[in-house]
Amino acid sequence: MQNDIQRLLEAANQIILGKDRQIRLAVCCLLARGHLLIEDIPGVGKTTLAHTLARLLGMNYQRIQFTSDILPADIIGASVFDSKNHEFKFHPGPIFNQMVLADEINRSTPKAQSALLEAMEEHQVTVEGVTYSLPEPFFVIATQNPSHQIGTFPLPESQLDRFLMRIELGYPDPKSERLLLTGQNRHHLIQTLSEQIAPQQLQALQQAVTGVHVSNALLDYCQGIINFTRESSEYHCGLSPRAGLALLTAAKAWTYMDNRDAVIPEDLQAVLASVAGHRLRSGNNDSEAIVAPILAKVAVH
Amino acid sequence: MNPNLAHNKEILVFLLTSLGLIVLPHVTHLPWGVFGFFSFLLAWRFIGIWKPEKLPSFPWIVFLIVCGMAVLYTQHRGILGRDGGTSLFVIALGLKLMEIKTERDLYLINYLAFIVAASQFLYEQSILMAVYIVFVSCVLLATLVFINSHIADTTVSLKKAAAIIAQAIPMAIIVFIFFPRVEPPKWLWFNDPQQKKTGLSDTMEPGSISDLGMSDELVFRVKFEGALPPPKNRYWRGPVLTLTDGKKWVQARDFTYQRYLDKPKFSGPFYRYTLLMEPQEKDWVFALDLPAEFTKPLAQNANYQLTTSDDLRKRTEFKLTSYPTYNTGYLTKTEYKDARQLPALPSERIKQLVTQLHGYDRPPEEYITRLLNHFRKEDFHYTLTPPLMEDNPIETFLFETRYGFCSHYASAFVYLLRVAGIPARVVTGYQGGVYNELGNFLEIKQADAHAWTEVWLENKGWARFDPTAAVAPERVEKNIDINSLVPNGAINYAAPDSSLAALNLLKQARKLWGHIDYNWQRWVINYNNANQSIFLSSFGINDFKTMVYWMMAIVGIITAVLSLILLYQKPKQIDPELAVYNRFLKKLAKQGYVKQPGEGASDFAERIKPLLTEQVDNIENITSAFIMQRYGNNPSDEGLKKLSKLVSLFKL
Repeated sequence: MQNDIQRLLEAANQIILGKDRQIRLAVCCLLARGHLLIEDIPGVGKTTLAHTLARLLGMNYQRIQFTSDILPADIIGASVFDSKNHEFKFHPGPIFNQMVLADEINRSTPKAQSALLEAMEEHQVTVEGVTYSLPEPFFVIATQNPSHQIGTFPLPESQLDRFLMRIELGYPDPKSERLLLTGQNRHHLIQTLSEQIAPQQLQALQQAVTGVHVSNALLDYCQGIINFTRESSEYHCGLSPRAGLALLTAAKAWTYMDNRDAVIPEDLQAVLASVAGHRLRSGNNDSEAIVAPILAKVAVH
Repeated sequence: MNPNLAHNKEILVFLLTSLGLIVLPHVTHLPWGVFGFFSFLLAWRFIGIWKPEKLPSFPWIVFLIVCGMAVLYTQHRGILGRDGGTSLFVIALGLKLMEIKTERDLYLINYLAFIVAASQFLYEQSILMAVYIVFVSCVLLATLVFINSHIADTTVSLKKAAAIIAQAIPMAIIVFIFFPRVEPPKWLWFNDPQQKKTGLSDTMEPGSISDLGMSDELVFRVKFEGALPPPKNRYWRGPVLTLTDGKKWVQARDFTYQRYLDKPKFSGPFYRYTLLMEPQEKDWVFALDLPAEFTKPLAQNANYQLTTSDDLRKRTEFKLTSYPTYNTGYLTKTEYKDARQLPALPSERIKQLVTQLHGYDRPPEEYITRLLNHFRKEDFHYTLTPPLMEDNPIETFLFETRYGFCSHYASAFVYLLRVAGIPARVVTGYQGGVYNELGNFLEIKQADAHAWTEVWLENKGWARFDPTAAVAPERVEKNIDINSLVPNGAINYAAPDSSLAALNLLKQARKLWGHIDYNWQRWVINYNNANQSIFLSSFGINDFKTMVYWMMAIVGIITAVLSLILLYQKPKQIDPELAVYNRFLKKLAKQGYVKQPGEGASDFAERIKPLLTEQVDNIENITSAFIMQRYGNNPSDEGLKKLSKLVSLFKL
């Protein structure tokens, strides 16, 4: 099964050039049943990444553009009066898709944000007393612009916590950029992609990830990291128990992708920046820099 | 954390509360003005924690300082002496509270508070106070811990402070025992007009001893080297009163006959004992009747009473020997004259009584026996609250009221003897004492104050007679139990077996406490230069140099033991595979390839492989074997053995 993942990654790398690690993390997040937050300036390929993944995984894909006047009903849907049948009929919103791209989520008001985030957590929406389940697998990729940009409502900590990972794409390196400039139109390329992993297969993979072995020695290291964030003066507040669970789940998925059956400290370290970066506030927005003290000071035994 | 700790509410509450605790015991001896002023400032500062705008501005602080100086001046006329100095510290502490601006102020106040806590010992040195001061020091230390720790937690701070004090106590004890004692300079004993000690006086009037009758205050303690004297011999000699005006008895004025006195002849058994006097105003030392051996600074006056030239306002210890059987020999002319002095000619009633008891025509011994019988058989009563006898108290007592206590009986007895021409005098002092089994000592309280008589008899010298014993033998042979005095003032001699078990328990507890307190006074408060050298020489430490060496050695040992406990950390139990892997790391580290603390095994291997190209396989094998054992799904003993073998074979 890992071969399928490998093929998927290779195909994605053909579209988004020079971002192997970010794509790997995005797939890792997907395998760990988490949602992904991509934070970067416009135009570095956030939407392209989401679109590519949707195509490769054969999932229903819908994009929601968040604007400052978007309403919860625009996301989850609304009941409309059907004059033929003389009754209200629920029209599902764009969230009723397996993969949802919430573009520029921090441009909308907190009310609309929370409508999406609730659905992400519960995997269901409730409209006028009726609960509707969301399709499985359900995966949200949200993008946000750096909060220093004009017209943004930064996501509060409690909602940032709903995202398993936050990654930054960044500018491509010169070589990739040259290829990008000389290559074909990305939209056309995406249309040519074929499904690599079917949704049912993805669910099986997600199930397999949970079977990855975690040893006591690794848990010691994991707790060492958590305690360090709680006691160090570098962070305003340490990692929550939920964050600790997220870290372990992501590390398991990473291990699985690497075709191993037991997590080693390097796996934790690999996902640490993207899992813990947005949960730790240290006056810095660069995830790698935020977790650097942890990697340097928490001893691996 | 808040950058300015001086505004941290928790720290301020903690600090101010501990200050309140420190100054609290001063309430009993500081003038009300000073204490009130401090409490006012403390309360103001407490309000200021939540309403900083209510704190005084600079002109107000200047005004408060002037007020403080005024309070000091009006209460003490200055800052010299114990009371003035303590008040100065307390007022300064209160004023400093008004300007807590920086962290430095917090420290300053804390140190000042330690001084105020220590000043408490200038007033009271009891064991309870010592315990309280240790507790208060613990709270003060906790405040310092609180200020300096990033986890602001009261319980944690208190625990830490208690640990610090517990570690310091052995050190303090050693320094206390070995540190050279310096006698306090005399100015410390400047007389403070506010303290007045109650006690026996050098005059006796009807009622003067009954004032002491109910006082539970300790006067002295006696520890005997051998057996205790029987209760009927426990007379502790104080001033001897010879002259009277019919009401008031005073000491003889003229002691110049002392050099003509015969030396008393002692016989029979003797008692050796140590007397520990509580602080008192007078220079009297109450020795067991009659003291034979004593050393300087003690001296004996013409009435065989011991006095001291030392200051008795602190606790003092004396070693004495007394003989209950003695003969003082002949009487001097002055004594004879003084001991027969009468205020006026006796009345007809008195003469009649003396005639009736054959005072004029029989030998003195027979007259005395009849007189004692008279007290015993007639309707005389012993009470601590007799009716008032304003005029001619002796006659009123003898013929009308017949209610009285020791001073009435003693004065009437002496008077009747003198009327018959027999030399007699009143002796005051203490009688009895409560035996403390635990500490094996007698406690003599103010309530044991007593008056008895001495009669000069041919071939016997001054002989002791106690007319009170004739009326209330229990007073002498047992002891009055203050607890059993009935409300109307008569004394209730309840048999001890009727008391309840609970009361016995209470008595038992009191005795235990008395024992502890005795040892505290004996070994801690009274541990002066002399006692220190006696104590240390019993361990063979005889000179100053050895003493200092011993102190330094023991303090050094305690420091070493404490630092060992503090610095020693139990080595962590290391998993076997990690121990093996660490051996591999050690081999690499010798060649300069050091694994970073945060570096995983596989990352490390990747890093060093390019540097050690010929060892790539070994490094890979060891690393994967280690990862398998440590993080893998099913570590096995074989895997561990394999890893161990690989590491053993690994050579650089």
